Parts: sequence; C-alpha cells; structure tokens
Amino acid sequence: MSISLALFSPPTQPLSLFSSSPSKPLLTLKPHLSLGPSKFLTTTKASAENGAGTSPSAATALEIQPDQKVAETPQQVVQKGESSVGANGSAGAVEIEEDNVLSQFMDPKWVGGTWDLSQFQKDGKTDWDAVIDAEARRRKWLEGNPETSSNDAPIVFDTSIIPWWAWMKRFHLPEAELLNGRAAMIGFFMAYLVDSLTGVGLVDQMGNFFCKTLLFIAVVGVLLIRKNEDLENLKKLLDETTFYDKQWQATWQDEKPGSSKN
Amino acid sequence: MASVALKSFVGLRQQASTEKPHYFFTSQSQTKPPGKLKFQVLASKSSPRLTNRKLRVAVIGGGPAGGAAAETLAKGGIETYLIERKMDNCKPCGGAIPLCMVGEFDLPLDIIDRRVTKMKMISPSNVAVDIGQTLKPHEYIGMVRREVLDAYLRERAKTNGAEVINGLFLKMDVPKDGVSPYVLHYNGFNGKVGGVGEKRTLEVDAVIGADGANSRVAKAIDAGDYDYAIAFQERIKIPDDKMAYYEDLAEMYVGDDVSPDFYGWVFPKCDHVAVGTGTVTHKGDIKKFQLATRKRAKDKILGGKIIRVEAHPIPEHPRPRRLLGRVALVGDAAGYVTKCSGEGIYFAAKSGRMCAEAIVEGSENGKRMVDERDLRKYLEKWDKTYWPTYKVLDVLQKVFYRSNPAREAFVEMCADEYVQKMTFDSYLYKTVAPGNPLQDLKLAVNTIGSLVRANALKKEMDKLSV
Repeated sequence: MSISLALFSPPTQPLSLFSSSPSKPLLTLKPHLSLGPSKFLTTTKASAENGAGTSPSAATALEIQPDQKVAETPQQVVQKGESSVGANGSAGAVEIEEDNVLSQFMDPKWVGGTWDLSQFQKDGKTDWDAVIDAEARRRKWLEGNPETSSNDAPIVFDTSIIPWWAWMKRFHLPEAELLNGRAAMIGFFMAYLVDSLTGVGLVDQMGNFFCKTLLFIAVVGVLLIRKNEDLENLKKLLDETTFYDKQWQATWQDEKPGSSKN
Repeated sequence: MASVALKSFVGLRQQASTEKPHYFFTSQSQTKPPGKLKFQVLASKSSPRLTNRKLRVAVIGGGPAGGAAAETLAKGGIETYLIERKMDNCKPCGGAIPLCMVGEFDLPLDIIDRRVTKMKMISPSNVAVDIGQTLKPHEYIGMVRREVLDAYLRERAKTNGAEVINGLFLKMDVPKDGVSPYVLHYNGFNGKVGGVGEKRTLEVDAVIGADGANSRVAKAIDAGDYDYAIAFQERIKIPDDKMAYYEDLAEMYVGDDVSPDFYGWVFPKCDHVAVGTGTVTHKGDIKKFQLATRKRAKDKILGGKIIRVEAHPIPEHPRPRRLLGRVALVGDAAGYVTKCSGEGIYFAAKSGRMCAEAIVEGSENGKRMVDERDLRKYLEKWDKTYWPTYKVLDVLQKVFYRSNPAREAFVEMCADEYVQKMTFDSYLYKTVAPGNPLQDLKLAVNTIGSLVRANALKKEMDKLSV
C-alpha cells in the first residue's frame, strides 16, 4: 500500500508540535515518544494508569512510526490529543491507490459471480461433486489471496443450490460408516465382556437399566469423541457456555447474602 | 427463550451468593475482590434525611452515559456535577445508534448525520448479502458524530440544572461510613485551553463513574479488569461518486484476514467513511487486519484520502465489580458493550439514566441519603432487562465468529428474510423478540445446514493445497 512508514524522526520534532496545544498531552506523550517511535504502546490492562490521564485512547492506541509529513495539516495537531496515532503523517496524505498487480480468482466455470452449472454436466446430470470441489478451490484461493469485494462483479453463489443428498453422499456417509463401524466394534466387544463377566446374555442385557446406560454412554462417546483432541475441546466448550454468565455474575459476588433483598 | 435465560440467571445468583468467588476469575483478570468489606446495614427507608441541602452526586465523564445520568439526576432534583475533561472530544467511535434511542432520549433529528437503512454483509469468500429489505420506511440506524451527540446531552443536562465542570478527575477519597461525603480531587481547567489546570476538590454524597473504558473511578473502587478489544479505525474521504454508494449503506466484512474474532466495517459518516476493524486476541496484528479491511473494500474506497486514524479499547464484558458503596459504574466504564456487534452508545446512555433513576428514587428526589442498596437496584434492573440481549449476542459471536466456515454460514443465514427481520427488530428496539416458533425451527434447521455445508467445504479446502 502507499502508506509511507519509512520516515523516522528524532523525538524532538514531534514535541515542537505540541507546544501550541494544551500541555496535558505534552506530559502524556513525552514519555511515550522518548521510548522510540516504533514501539507499540498497548497496555494489557484497560485500567492502566496513564500519566495525566488525557486521551485514554493514546495509552492503548498503537503508536505508529511518526511520519514527519504531519507538519502541514493543522487538523491533526488539534485532534492528536484524542488519539496520538492521528499525529502520524500517514493520516495526512495517504491515498488509497490502485494496486498494479491484480490477482483475482479466475476460472472458466466461474461466470458472473457464481458457478455456471451448465459447465458441470456429466452424463446429462450436474456433477455436484465437481461443483463442491470447485468452490473449495475458490475459497482456498481467496483465503490465501484476499480480494476486494466489488459492486461491479458481485458474488452471488449460495452453497444451498447444491442438493442435500450430494452433501450427504460426500461427507456424511463416509463418516457415518466410520462411526457406525466403531460403535459396532465397541458394542460387540462390550457385549461379550459383560456376558463373560456376569453371564447375562445379549437379550437380557438390553433389558437391564445399567446396561442400557452403558450403551447410551458408548453411543454418545463414539459420536462426540472422534479424535484425541475432542476431549479437551468438549471441556472448553462447556466452560465457554457459562463463562460470559460468570463474568456478569461477578458483581453480585460482593453482596453479603443478608443484605440482598431478592 | 428469554424467560429460560432469565430463570437460570436468577438461580445462579441466589446460589452463587453462598459460594466462593475465586473460580470466577480466569488467568486473564488478575484482581480478586478484597476480603468481604463491612457493609453498613442501613435500610434505605431509615436513611438519614438530609437537612438544609439536597443530595449531591457527581458524574465523572461527559459522554452519552454521563450526559444521560446528569440530566436524569438534575431533573430529579439532585445537586448534580458533571465532570468532563475535554468538552470538544471527538471520541473514536462507530457512531451507530438504534432507532429506539432517538425516541427514548428525545434526540433531535438534526443530530443524526445519516440514516442507514441498508447493510451489506461480506463473507470471507466475498459473497455479499444485502440486508435491510425488511425495514419499514420509518426505521433506520442513526449515524452520529460523537462530539455532536455528547455535547447535546451535556447541554441538556446543564439546562436541567446540572453543573458542568471542565476538569480531569484524578482520585477520590472514600469515606469510612455511610454519611460522610466522597472527596473528589480533580484538575479544573476553567474553560481555558492550555494550562495544567488547578487542583480542586469536590465533596459529594454519591458518584457515578461514566468515564469510559479506561475509567479512573473504576480504579478507585478497585472494580477489576475486563478483557477488551482494540478497535482501530481510519476516516477516509472518498470521491463523491463512491460516497453516493454509501449514502445510506454500511458494510460489514468478516473473515480471518479482517479479524479473527470481530469484523471489519465501512460506516458512512457525515461526509466521509470510517473503515475499521477490531480484535481481542490478536491486538498486535491490528495494522495487518486494517490493511486487509482496506483491501477488501478497495474497489469502493479507491481514490480516498485518509484524514484521520484513531483507535480505542472496547470492553468485552462487565467489570467484576460495578458498584461499591455509593459509587456506581455505567457505560463503558462498567463494560456494557455487547458482543458480536460491539454496540455501546445506547447501553451507555441507558445505564446512565437507569443508575440516575435509582439514585433519584432511593433518595426520594434528593431529600435522603442513598446507600449501596439503592444503587444495587440499578444493577438488578439493568441485568434483568438486558441480560437476554447480551447473552444472545454472546452466543451469536461464539457460534458465528469462530472460524471462516462459521462466518460463511453467518452471511448465508443473513440472506434469509426472517433472520433480517428478527435481527433488526431486536437491534432497533432492544428487545429480544420471541419469533414465530415454526419459523424459528426452520431457521435452526437452515443454520445447522449452512454450518454443516461450510464446514464440509472447509474440510475439502484443507485437503487441497493450492
């Protein structure tokens, strides 16, 4: 982009700008600038003490390399009290310019912002697998090379045009086969084990409440825990669901049970 | 849905009061509340009557929260002081206010620079969805300039009898009992621009901390920390023909390139656009995210000049303690910013007003001293009224801002008319409206379908190496 971040300046020059403004920023920004123009000044605590306390956003705002083109515009001198980043020259004269290198997603089958289904015909029917592949490739490309969203060439592709059975056949069925296989193996082994330990046959096991509970746990386990990481993920998910609630409740922890009315 | 959420909330609170609070604090927030303080058990009805004077309350911070609080206090017959450090402050802000705020706070229509009636949601793969077709002709999202809004609310507080002081709050002496005043130390500027200001003190009976995300009042009452997002924004003046496109339209860009846990935006302001993004977890990469946002919007902001760069923290959740003694926090200082949309102006103003109302009521229009219990009523009312809104937005954020497939599904869902109607209804009127159950079911099925499809595509993407 055309931001010129290359200009560095000795700390003294920006300070001369501040002499015309309230000295509060002078007190705040002096120590900031003396740390060096390229330091990030984000504080990790929102409640951090910041000098004389003006421009709280300055404490947590990012200190970008002060660019000395700032000298012209009086606008920034007035406004820099609010955000120190306003003082940098990149605010003054940068223009959003056209990139010379236009990397765009091009594909003969991608017409008018969507996939041209007529080009995906196979044996007289649409080859949905190929459409899914094509969309995956497009998204992968965009992930690596984000493009500008344009009003002239809007993208209107909606994944719901691919029928549900195409998704089932491709994604659900193989995994279902895998999970059912696991469940069957576990079920057979557990039935044998319980039978050999207790003598209760398969039919009698199905009538027993404890065995039915075990069966339920086994099925849920096979469904939810598919990889080793899933155990951790599930625990984290559980914490996540209640975390926000706890943050909101925190203020009520202070209250003594007696002094609370309801 | 709303009532279920409420039940669990209240229940948790009642049992929580007997449990230890220590496990509520994660490794990120380091402060624990100090050992249980002795509370003065003073029933508010038997609070001492104030002889010869009215209740004195100071509002620190003159933004929407402070202005609304000061106005309500002054109207309620309380001696109000509003301390604001910078009268012409241009707070970096998205500047969007919901329709209900205009009505509830009697805002004049000329405060609103623009009425946004259309929004465009743009997914990571640039699928663009227009929302806003379900809006009725009188409905809009108001875009305001903060300096204009804040000044108006402060002026109104002043006309109602509040004393507006230009000063910087430094610290506060906390009284030992329930009747002695709080002594505030501040630097008074006397309206002079430049100069350090002179040290002054002010004695008040109660304090409302409305001084924003880096609240000093919060520090004074040891309110604890919150996680916060950094919102970074560039104001860009674009050519008129491009500005016409943004006449009444705002854009939201989602994607890992734009933000890992928030969104990038292009909001129209009075005569320029604000292009920005935010993040909680990757604050160091904010410049990268901003460049990516600009890149995604490039076609539409081509030829624009950056006229201002600004950044500000946005709280992610309320502080562990929002109230101590006769000091209460409101607005950003308390951390009342919603997840998912990052909306804070309305909630700031509303919480300011609610807290002030609780003080007016507890003091019987300034005749009695207030105590902590009167202020707690504001917290109760607030949590009860707005908890469903916050929770729903939290769930939405957790589900839809998780990953690129989730965001793709999110944008796909936004194309649905029912979703648009529900979203705008709840945003504009700040109620979690229970919808039609049949359509809710259809929506749930469609959401799951979208999520499944997007995640399936992601699995395919992972297999590829382009």
